[in-house]
Amino acid sequence: MAQQLAIIVLVDIGNALEANSLRDNVYLFDNMKLHGSDGQGTGDLVTAIHGAYWRDGSQATEQVLNWLPYSLGSLPPTVPRGYESERALQSDARALEELDALTAKPDATDPAADLNEIRKAVGTRVKTTRRTKGRLSGQKVIDLTGEIVTDTSAGTYSYPAPVITDIYGQAVDEKIMYPAEYGSPDLVTDGWYWSATVDSSRPGTYSYSMRIQLHRLVQRGSEALWEPVNLTCESALRVTSEPKVNGFTGSGMGLLPLDPYPSSAQGAEYFQPGPQQPGPQQPGSQQSGVQQSGLVEEER
Amino acid sequence: MTSETDNGGARRPIAITAVVDCVGALATGTVHGNLYFYDTNKAGGSQGFGTEQLRTRVRSGDQVLWSVLALECEAYTAIDGIDIDHELCEPERRVYPGTDVAYWIGTVKKDIPGDTYYQVRFRLGSRDEPIVTTLSPSLVG
Repeated sequence: MAQQLAIIVLVDIGNALEANSLRDNVYLFDNMKLHGSDGQGTGDLVTAIHGAYWRDGSQATEQVLNWLPYSLGSLPPTVPRGYESERALQSDARALEELDALTAKPDATDPAADLNEIRKAVGTRVKTTRRTKGRLSGQKVIDLTGEIVTDTSAGTYSYPAPVITDIYGQAVDEKIMYPAEYGSPDLVTDGWYWSATVDSSRPGTYSYSMRIQLHRLVQRGSEALWEPVNLTCESALRVTSEPKVNGFTGSGMGLLPLDPYPSSAQGAEYFQPGPQQPGPQQPGSQQSGVQQSGLVEEER
Repeated sequence: MTSETDNGGARRPIAITAVVDCVGALATGTVHGNLYFYDTNKAGGSQGFGTEQLRTRVRSGDQVLWSVLALECEAYTAIDGIDIDHELCEPERRVYPGTDVAYWIGTVKKDIPGDTYYQVRFRLGSRDEPIVTTLSPSLVG
């Protein structure tokens, strides 16, 4: 199976919305730093893609890229899926409890103040539109600590995670990579993620663009809405030609340099390959595991 | 421009995010070269984005919220503690309601004349001992 390469797209949503641009407001990472990726943690990441080849020159496999968009200064991606909706339900339940307690109170001295407290518990539900329903449905405005926000004008709210809506550009046009959005059981990407297979047979540097959707909270009358804002940023792939190597040894493909015999006497007791399941062999060895096991016994 | 909102009321907390290359840090035994700090106060004058020496511009009364993001989403990464002058700020660990996902939050108690450096201790993978930042980020007045 091809190696999975991950690219994290970290967006400073507040500043990006303020500047109406992702320039200097997006930070890219991948897990190929040791393989030569440049610009980790900046907006100028060049992802190293090692074309994997057998030693006879034939292509061994494609590489697979995954993109994970995260937000700077929002709820972390590690909170459970649907956390915002869950908090909305919890706040509704709490408000109902408080309302129930208020109606049962025989001598409410300041019902207006009590109702105001309940209003705070209810928070601000975000109205969804045809463009924003789905992942944002049933949510309320919550802050960076997961608490319900009543006064959205204070600007203390958490932005929804950015969404990649397209990947295009030179690397796609020249058929270096084939990106697509897939459904996923992955809990940290809200059920969707962008992935691409990369044709690693053509070395070179290829740029690509990402269209990223952010959401700006707007107040229309008494309603709060997440208004989509589409911005773009660029990155690049650098495909190089490398022979396929053993990831453990860094040398050619072959058997792992593992001792086929447990070194301790206790371990040897458990090394009992059956006649239908020959044990591991040393490279170049024609002896079966059973025969080798016998040699170990003789050497003792 | 600072983190204060236009209405002059509540301020948006300044969020500091540590992005950790957990595998790289565990392989080398240090977060040096495997850690990238960011905050949300670039417009307020913070500097050093993407480095281990982030300088976060703060002022008295600002709330600062620290969280961590792992480069590999399967890797366990958490902040174990933040060592900073408690005369300035006393970060405390909290969890998002109903979860075990933690963050650290503290209020800047007073204006700072210069840089106040601090260290962050990280818990990574199944390693028993925390790994401490070698280069120090700072809060700047």
